[in-house]
Amino acid sequence: MKALEVTSLTKWYGSARGVEDLSFSIEEGEIFGYLGPNGSGKTTTIRCFMGLLRPTSGECRVLGERVLPGRATQHTRIGYLPGDFQIWPGRTARKSLKLMAELGNGKNINKRRNELAERLDLDLDRRVRALSKGNRQKVGVVFAFQHQPDILILDEPTIGLDPLMRQVVLDMICEAAQAGTTVLLSSHDLSEVAAVCGRAAILREGKLIKLAPISNIIQQGQRRLKVWFVKGTKVPTLPADKLPGVRVIQQNSDTLQIAYQGTVDAVLKWLAQFPVDRLSTPQTSLEDAFIQYYQKEAGHED
Amino acid sequence: MKINHRHPFPWPLLRFWTFRILPIWFLIALMIFLIQIAYCGIVHDNESIKTFLQYIDLLPSFIKTILGGDALKVGNIAGFVAIGYQEPTVLILYMLYAVGVPTGLLAGEVQKGTMELILSRQVTKTQVYICAGLITITGMFALVLVMFSGTVVATNFYDFDQTVHLYPFFKIAIVGGVLASAVGSIALLAAACFRHNTAVWLTVAYLVVNYFVSIIAEWWPRMKWLQPTTIFYYEPGPEIFNESAWPISNLCVLISILLVSTLLGGFIWSRRDLPL
Repeated sequence: MKALEVTSLTKWYGSARGVEDLSFSIEEGEIFGYLGPNGSGKTTTIRCFMGLLRPTSGECRVLGERVLPGRATQHTRIGYLPGDFQIWPGRTARKSLKLMAELGNGKNINKRRNELAERLDLDLDRRVRALSKGNRQKVGVVFAFQHQPDILILDEPTIGLDPLMRQVVLDMICEAAQAGTTVLLSSHDLSEVAAVCGRAAILREGKLIKLAPISNIIQQGQRRLKVWFVKGTKVPTLPADKLPGVRVIQQNSDTLQIAYQGTVDAVLKWLAQFPVDRLSTPQTSLEDAFIQYYQKEAGHED
Repeated sequence: MKINHRHPFPWPLLRFWTFRILPIWFLIALMIFLIQIAYCGIVHDNESIKTFLQYIDLLPSFIKTILGGDALKVGNIAGFVAIGYQEPTVLILYMLYAVGVPTGLLAGEVQKGTMELILSRQVTKTQVYICAGLITITGMFALVLVMFSGTVVATNFYDFDQTVHLYPFFKIAIVGGVLASAVGSIALLAAACFRHNTAVWLTVAYLVVNYFVSIIAEWWPRMKWLQPTTIFYYEPGPEIFNESAWPISNLCVLISILLVSTLLGGFIWSRRDLPL
């Protein structure tokens, strides 16, 4: 059974587009990355899964059950962290989290809540208004994880956290997935998506432009080659007409960094004419692939 | 995997909201209660009434209409006691609760972003609306009963020249309770449809316009035809005093307004997207 599934999902806000004809599914126990720039429709999709928005057409399914807007479909089994996590500022985090747990299946989870708070180095007995932005985000993380849900829907879970805490949260996500939890991780931080996700979807202007394993997405990105020429050699000019798909990223007095697609064969044959000192192939990152998808879709490809 | 389709009523949410509202409710109830005692304290002897009437006669007739109109005359003790029921301070206190509570609970939680958390748990939008509606409507009705209890206490506390019959006040309290609940349901409807500030201002504007239209229609004979268009027309104080029968047709109109507003608000709330 698919844990999460959207079929032909379209959502318009009046004349403004949210998402358009979106279809994908997430297997149980999978960590699925959901990528896209601001306004691309990530939060709209998530809110449709949570039944907070009524789709214009299409449907969402959670654990095989069709999501009915406002009907809390399978919410006892979902841990949700909104992108802009807000909680009652005048109450302590513990009281608010206890209330939220009581509004579902999490009545006896004090121990779990305390463990999570300890792991995140969070004081649950302070009023939320007295907490820093990062600590408020930790409250959100505890909120999502405290009832040990079967599905985690996390919208920017590490925003505002320091690198150490970010790693703790990523570890928690991985541990949850190992225990069988399905995770939908929406994030702007591509390195964390690359670190924990098996597959990812890339959205642009409400449409799905790529859905593949992370490794495939990275491989399809432009590869890089850095060339050091022998000292005193003039760095040659790249013949764009003979090397299509190759572009200069950076050029110094004796180095040349280029990006290319496909095989490196043509580039190496061209370089063979010059006195090359050494070569290196910097690893392609998800960021490179992501930017490339956007340039390609927006028609900015060189 | 076990699929759970049941959505038990969210008592913790109702409890949380009730405890949040209770201090405000108690404060408003106390003020309304004390105002009734204060009015009875002023009007329980004839000398005070005469002075009061002399003072009112100096004011424009429009103000006298606001305070009770023709019912204010020597010998009509009940009419003077009833001033406390329609005194502008009391009406403003009712309005504070009627407008502040439903807009604060529904539109307010949406604006704060906490509604998203509530609805991400095992709580349906309808259940959230029912919780807000229960607190608003029962709270408004209870305020009117507190007002009546203020009259009961005051009439026992002060000696009046003539017997003050409490039954007509009880009838006014019940009809007034339904009126107050209907006003609460209109605010609930606004809270279900609009953002917080818009809902507050629309409801306040509706009530203020209704109030002044009802006063003008009573004060200016040519505008009498406007009376049935206002919600306050359906709580006819003098008629309730003069007639022994219950104003069933007025109660039916008020209950209809209460039901239609509540159900329409619930329908819109359940269909409406949670604003981003």
